[in-house]
Amino acid sequence: MIPRNGQAGWAREAGLLLVFAVIVLTMPEWLEWIGGYSALATKVTIWALFALGFDILLGFTGYLSFGHAAFFGTAAYATGMSFRDFSPEIVPALLFSLAATVPLALILGYLTLRRTGIYFSILTLAFAQMLHAAALSIFSDWTGGDNGLTMDVSPAFMGEDLSDRAIFYIAAGTLVVGYAIARQIRRSPFGLMLMAIKENPMRLEYTGAHLRIYKIAAFVISALYGSVAGFLMVVYEPYVATKYLHWSTSGELVIMSVIGGVNTLIGPMIGATFMLYFENVVQGYLGEQWKLVLGIIFVLVVIFVPGGFVDMYNRARRRLGMVARLRRPNVPDAPGSIEEERARPRNVQARHELPTE
Amino acid sequence: MTVARTASARRPLLEMRGISKRFGGLAALSDINLTVEEGSVHAIIGPNGAGKSTLLNVLVGLIEPDQGEVVFDGRPLAGITPHDIIQLGIARVFQTPQIFPGMTLLQNVAIAALAKRDGKFAVKVLESLTRTHPIIEESAAMLERVGLGAKLDEIAEQLSRGDKRRLELAICLVCRPRLLLLDEPTAGMSRHDTNTTVELLEEIAKGGMTKVIIEHDMHVVFTLAERITVLAQGRVIADGPPEEIRGNPKVQEAYLGGAQV
Amino acid sequence: MSDQLINALFLQVLTGLQIGAIYALIALGLTLIFGTLGVVNFAHGALYMLGSYFAVLLAKQIGFTATILVVPLLLFLLGILLERGLIQWFYARPHVDQILVTFGLAIVVEETLKWIFGANNIPFALPSWGLGIVRLHEWVPFLTGFVAFPKWRLILILVTLVTIAVVFLLLEFTRFGLVVRAAMRDTDMVSLLGVRVPRYFAMVFGLGSLIAGIAGTFGGPITQVTPGVGMEVLVPSFLVVVIGGMGSLPGALIAAVLIGLALSFTAEYSALQQIIVYLIAVVVLLVRPRGLMGKKGVFE
Repeated sequence: MIPRNGQAGWAREAGLLLVFAVIVLTMPEWLEWIGGYSALATKVTIWALFALGFDILLGFTGYLSFGHAAFFGTAAYATGMSFRDFSPEIVPALLFSLAATVPLALILGYLTLRRTGIYFSILTLAFAQMLHAAALSIFSDWTGGDNGLTMDVSPAFMGEDLSDRAIFYIAAGTLVVGYAIARQIRRSPFGLMLMAIKENPMRLEYTGAHLRIYKIAAFVISALYGSVAGFLMVVYEPYVATKYLHWSTSGELVIMSVIGGVNTLIGPMIGATFMLYFENVVQGYLGEQWKLVLGIIFVLVVIFVPGGFVDMYNRARRRLGMVARLRRPNVPDAPGSIEEERARPRNVQARHELPTE
Repeated sequence: MTVARTASARRPLLEMRGISKRFGGLAALSDINLTVEEGSVHAIIGPNGAGKSTLLNVLVGLIEPDQGEVVFDGRPLAGITPHDIIQLGIARVFQTPQIFPGMTLLQNVAIAALAKRDGKFAVKVLESLTRTHPIIEESAAMLERVGLGAKLDEIAEQLSRGDKRRLELAICLVCRPRLLLLDEPTAGMSRHDTNTTVELLEEIAKGGMTKVIIEHDMHVVFTLAERITVLAQGRVIADGPPEEIRGNPKVQEAYLGGAQV
Repeated sequence: MSDQLINALFLQVLTGLQIGAIYALIALGLTLIFGTLGVVNFAHGALYMLGSYFAVLLAKQIGFTATILVVPLLLFLLGILLERGLIQWFYARPHVDQILVTFGLAIVVEETLKWIFGANNIPFALPSWGLGIVRLHEWVPFLTGFVAFPKWRLILILVTLVTIAVVFLLLEFTRFGLVVRAAMRDTDMVSLLGVRVPRYFAMVFGLGSLIAGIAGTFGGPITQVTPGVGMEVLVPSFLVVVIGGMGSLPGALIAAVLIGLALSFTAEYSALQQIIVYLIAVVVLLVRPRGLMGKKGVFE
């Protein structure tokens, strides 16, 4: 949608970001009101950041990566190693993380984006698992192997130990900035090109745009969000679990993004909040079965409300006559009647890309 | 109606010289020679399997010919990637209108305008595509021109087929192409829709834009084209103005009775 | 070559075949389903796992021999139910949605099993006729000395071969098989010919599940019966299918053998063994995107 212009537009944007910032910064408080605990807020913001970046790839371009754990985990290990072997300062740790993940993202993006669709997804899965296996075996001396990477370090900034609250504010601030950036990308020419990739790659090729480079750019940007999240995770909890590189982490990312609502930016963040709330709070009531319930919710969402919570909200608003939206922009192929579905041709996306090399 | 132009020398915009391509045992194209003059409307016709699609793909750089060369605007296209070829100023209209279905009409045209402005790749994140952005204004103007000015914020998917065709033309034209390739634009259309499309094409692409039309439908061809190249089984069997082609026995034979003429 | 070496090589090859056997059966089902229905079934590992669970539980009640007949049948019915009840709504939806729903299904199955049976391994007792070793040196001429191989693993290989043979006979010589092969080439054409496609789709999904059931029954004692098995076998199986070429049955089988052998021969070098499957997949996907025997142009 073409946003409003000029002064009114900027004021509106600033207002929105302010509201968002307030919600995020007060999370430790309102989480407690709904049964959570304040320390959970940091974890939520970290995963929200991860999911936000993931939406830039999946939501905008439509490419489903099952390998984003590679960036989260690599950054986590880089941070851990920096804390353990170098210094408890967080800035060097962040720099190491970025130095490790940016080349990784470029290489992985370049290789996996040679293919599209399911092949791309499987390639990302294969690469990420390879990295996970390597970290456990070949690099186990550095990573601590199966036991994960432990350290007796308290993260610090400029010599001062960081309190839990301070760490939360760092994470929250990063999230707000990350959200602002993501929103700007979406309304920019660059963002429009990314979204065009999902809509009709062939037509986009024939305008003379080089899709592959755009895709790699989106991939790297989403990887960056993931690596900052990985870095923050270890700052929050100075321990690196092997799970961070495992594809199940990528899987969780996919689940929370879909539940919240892909291609809305806010949806995956809501999904992250929901999922973590479920894991940490609902588990207290449901016990072990929380994962099962979450899995069922996920399946139900995919079947009936593929646009996620955000779509459910929009649909409700429409039903109440509040918004005359013509279309649900984040729902590429919503389930209609059976006849509609049988009649609809198979998605011809990504079958007509111009070969590049 | 296009007027027959006098033989004032118009420079060739596109030349295909000695193009040949085999796929395994099949000779898809054999020694094709073709010249498209700047500003002309040039039709390429032929029965199914004549090699029209292959020729088009060779032109755009998707397929490399075994022999021969393609020269566009004086510049050999050998070894240039499809993206770069398109950036040189070629736009393509497809059989089924290829648009960005989930986006508004403004966004549809803006994408093409941006690709033109920024080239193959650019990371322009600091601009915001608001209503007053020059690209958006340019896109709105182009949509006016093709008659879609009232529907700027509608979602492309919901347009009628005719309007989708207009949108596709807007997407192509905003790139100010030197050469417009129309790939069977009336395929599968009713007589009425075909006529509408022909009128649309005449009306919109006035002003001397070079057009190459690949077509089946003789009526369309004879209405629009100044020059016709006829392909059959990978070879050029006739090449000339419509009057020459009309009575050409080889052409009639190639169409197995030529009842469409 | 020294006798020791010949013995060792033979055993490694046999082990490779046994490892490959399980992947072959799962890949067979995956390929049938993808080739005919066009669906990427992320829940296929879960079907294998269900086969193992059903087998281990039933065997205690009705004995293993009866179980061999019942479990595949159960999985067949389950497959049909799944297809009619869930999968069929996703044919027109993009691949991403198919992946998501089957992935979600796999998670639900895993968590349900964990809930009911706990996360620990259920010991799978082999039937008496499956215990012990086979003295290979008595059967294979070029082996020397004492060369033994677990009987059950040999049975697994044989069962796999028989299953593959039966499936191929089915495809070659029955009307059902003809329709499936045609659909694997061009689904739209088949429905235009007036064939009742939905019925065949259900049967194909059922068949794929049945094969997974066989694999789960015989592979269960080897891969263990835990809720994590589903995903554990799925990832390599997917890579096998992709390496072989999605939609190619012979390709899937060849790739399964290849992967099995690769895993067997790298058993000594555990670091390499961990990553060898991914490495092969990555190389193949990059160098020959359609896989070993995939159809050209299907490299979506």
